[in-house]
Amino acid sequence: MVKIRRAYEVLFLGLFLFFLFITDLRYLKGWPVSLFLEATPLVAVATALTTHTIYRNLVWGLVIIAVTMMVGRVWCNWMCPFGILHHFFGWIGNRRNTKQMIEVNRYRKIYSIKYYILTAMLVMASLWIVPTVIDAPGEILQAYRGSELPQTGVSRVFAAVGAGISRSAEMHKLSNGTLQIGLLDPIALTVRSMTTSVLPTVHKATESVYTEPREYWQAWIVGLIFLGFLFANWWIPRFFCRVVCPLGALLGVFSRFALWRIDRDPVRCTDCDLCLKSCEGASDPQADLRKSECFVCLNCIEDCPHDALTFRFLPRKASEIALPAVNRRALFLSGLFGLYFFPMTRLSGGVRKNFQRTVIRPPGSVAEDEFLRRCIKCDQCIRVCPTNVLQPALFEAGLEGLWTPIMISKMGWCELNCTLCSQVCPTGAIREISLAEKLGVGPFESKGPIRTGTAFYNRGRCLPWSMDVSCVVCEEVCPVSPKAIFTRNVEVTSRWGGVIELKRPFIDPFRCIGCGICEHECPVKDDPAVYVTAIGETREKSRSLLLGLVEGEAQDLISV
Amino acid sequence: MGEKLTRTQLKNLERFGGVNPADEPFSRRQFATQVGGYALLAGGTVAGGLLLRDKWGMEGVKPPPPVRLKSYSVAVPVSKPSLVVVRSAPVLAEQFTSKELELQAREDQAFGMVKAALESMGGVDHFITRGDVVVIKPNVAFDKNPDLAATTQPDTVAAVTRLCLGAGARKVIVCDNPINNPESCFFKTKVGEAAIRAGAELMLPKDSYFEDLYVGGETITGTWRMLYRPFREATKVIGISPVKDHNLCKATVTMKNWYGLLGNPRNQFHQNIHGIISDFALMMKPTLVIADGRKLLMRNGPTGGSLNDVKRGDTMVVGTDHTAVDSWCVSKLLERSRSDIIYLDKVIKRGLGQDWRPQWTQEITV
Repeated sequence: MVKIRRAYEVLFLGLFLFFLFITDLRYLKGWPVSLFLEATPLVAVATALTTHTIYRNLVWGLVIIAVTMMVGRVWCNWMCPFGILHHFFGWIGNRRNTKQMIEVNRYRKIYSIKYYILTAMLVMASLWIVPTVIDAPGEILQAYRGSELPQTGVSRVFAAVGAGISRSAEMHKLSNGTLQIGLLDPIALTVRSMTTSVLPTVHKATESVYTEPREYWQAWIVGLIFLGFLFANWWIPRFFCRVVCPLGALLGVFSRFALWRIDRDPVRCTDCDLCLKSCEGASDPQADLRKSECFVCLNCIEDCPHDALTFRFLPRKASEIALPAVNRRALFLSGLFGLYFFPMTRLSGGVRKNFQRTVIRPPGSVAEDEFLRRCIKCDQCIRVCPTNVLQPALFEAGLEGLWTPIMISKMGWCELNCTLCSQVCPTGAIREISLAEKLGVGPFESKGPIRTGTAFYNRGRCLPWSMDVSCVVCEEVCPVSPKAIFTRNVEVTSRWGGVIELKRPFIDPFRCIGCGICEHECPVKDDPAVYVTAIGETREKSRSLLLGLVEGEAQDLISV
Repeated sequence: MGEKLTRTQLKNLERFGGVNPADEPFSRRQFATQVGGYALLAGGTVAGGLLLRDKWGMEGVKPPPPVRLKSYSVAVPVSKPSLVVVRSAPVLAEQFTSKELELQAREDQAFGMVKAALESMGGVDHFITRGDVVVIKPNVAFDKNPDLAATTQPDTVAAVTRLCLGAGARKVIVCDNPINNPESCFFKTKVGEAAIRAGAELMLPKDSYFEDLYVGGETITGTWRMLYRPFREATKVIGISPVKDHNLCKATVTMKNWYGLLGNPRNQFHQNIHGIISDFALMMKPTLVIADGRKLLMRNGPTGGSLNDVKRGDTMVVGTDHTAVDSWCVSKLLERSRSDIIYLDKVIKRGLGQDWRPQWTQEITV
């Protein structure tokens, strides 16, 4: 059995790395590269809380939950690439003797921390429930009194309750909840770390990943965290999985229903504790099994000298601990922290009133509030972006927006005929757009192109504007037709008295889509004389600049 | 247990009384509850997921269907005027011994003027009937003292509230989405206090009170965020506005007053001010509009700020069509050339309102 598991581990880690590698313009084709991100149940559950929907393929996560409810946390030791990496890393770094290994694999109290992390994160995602409950009675009353419901009598009461609650929830889901599970979800964390730090590093060593080396702003932080978690295995094996992983905690809760589990034969067992030697989950197989902690690695069965352990269908209820060992007060406090965290971060103002001009989201991104309720910071969009313009934000988009994608035009530019980031986003933070929609052609003619920002000139640094030097590279590279950058010819008296003719560039804000190639190509490299800021982006009405470009209709993104 | 047991294992067996508890097979009951429970739970999870599933990916960001404003207008009875100009002798501070008496007299004056106007239009009861929910939209855009004439006079709001409640209205809601801080505006213009004193409900513009309103006009071609909450239950709408100068559109009277119902970023509409004001004629069909011309802000609008900008008008204009009321006010009170007011021309050209005509107008004095 253990050999089969190892084969699965190799298979799934290999598949993960393969998908990671081909998330690239050259190889992407039709591969379902988001499969792992879509299969993590934590993403499905948390985005269902924040958006009240399950985005397309995220239903795979529910299949994993169903599997967990049947056979336990197989995900953790058979499929999860981060878990497999930890398994591998712990094995490499292992210098303990049998006795020490038995001791290090005993259950510890700190292994309940992951449940507190999960609680805090899910509460952050469901803050909308509080105002919904507060407003529900009023809405129910109004629905009952109003004229919209056709029912009468008792059925009207039920209909009014349903309509009132859904109306209240609909009203309050906006701007009441934040999705932070991506910080610690193992798949999102791994994809992010691989994208922004491991792969660029591998490229430095082998020059085989990219055509042109990638650079990611302050990604060393992501890399250090990743390494830190890997090295932690040498201190406590599977440190991340046992202590931190909120996905493991979620599956731990669901594994209480598992029909199959490790069962110990109390007669055959001689209490030698050898089963602990390579127990991955620290789930106490030598005593009553902690069902929520068991990774179903099956090592204990192999290690038992007396064949006292079996993986068994419906064993005795008396010999298991079905629920995670959590402290109720700590659980309550972590919920309270989650409740407090969202207002605390959101109210620092970065999302609405004081939104930063540098937070330029890739085309197809939904409105910022909705974006933060969908983005899991997996940075797969950053992985696939062919120009390196997409960068993991630090605190530009607020604490909530840590490592979400923003465009830094000095790093690259948004390629006009490219929609790759929208194709790989697993949660719809960048919704899938067609090229026609991005460019505003064909059926999208009346809506116009998707704009990510607007370019402005800093005339004090622009060569033709302030230094009597001809340039207009910006006009040359402006990709839209007609160009958003146009020039006016002027004749000026030069410093030495002669006459020189200059082309001075201007922006036509009705044409500019904010792609940033002008900023990227501007020869004034350090602080470009033409630069893009987020104002005028079409994803949010409140960030429009020109009346003529305001999206008239309430955006019906489905029927177009 | 067929095979041979070690000594320790035999001891274990002994401890369990000779029966190995792990050998017992699961009961039928355990099978039914666990497997049945699993089937239910797993099926429920996946089914729930499929139910919530957003197949095309965008259910979650699809905005709720936009709301629409119904028409609140009530036709005036045949042979009654649709626009009444009421004049009254001014209430002067020096006639009174105390400020309270003066304010009382002013409110009585406003009450008398509006009532007289409505009487000649067919009576208050013709416009407000028993059980009505009346939304009153004053213009309290700035946190200024009412004497500076940049905002609606509080006594007019109180008077109209009392008239509505007297006619049997169930509820009167006073609301606005001012430019300056809402609490501050309702407080310093004294409109909030006057409304509450007269028995109205004061509704401050909370974020969640805004909804997408379909307008489908010239400037708002589709929808716009609007302070819609009060209109959910409204059956009648009355706009009460000051008569004042405006830096861009030249005059703010009853039609521009509706600007205060829009949400942000409404300042973009200054890129096409006449278009947006003419859209209000399409957006809002009020029951009544009241232009309070007892004080006129002649210049430095729309904010004002000096008593030197304010002129006495001693007039109240009540009508059912904001186009006619505005037209009358700009030419007769604000001393503007009617041709300067481009938005009124737009409204008339779009067939959304009619200019005032002497035969529909009555001038009275109380």
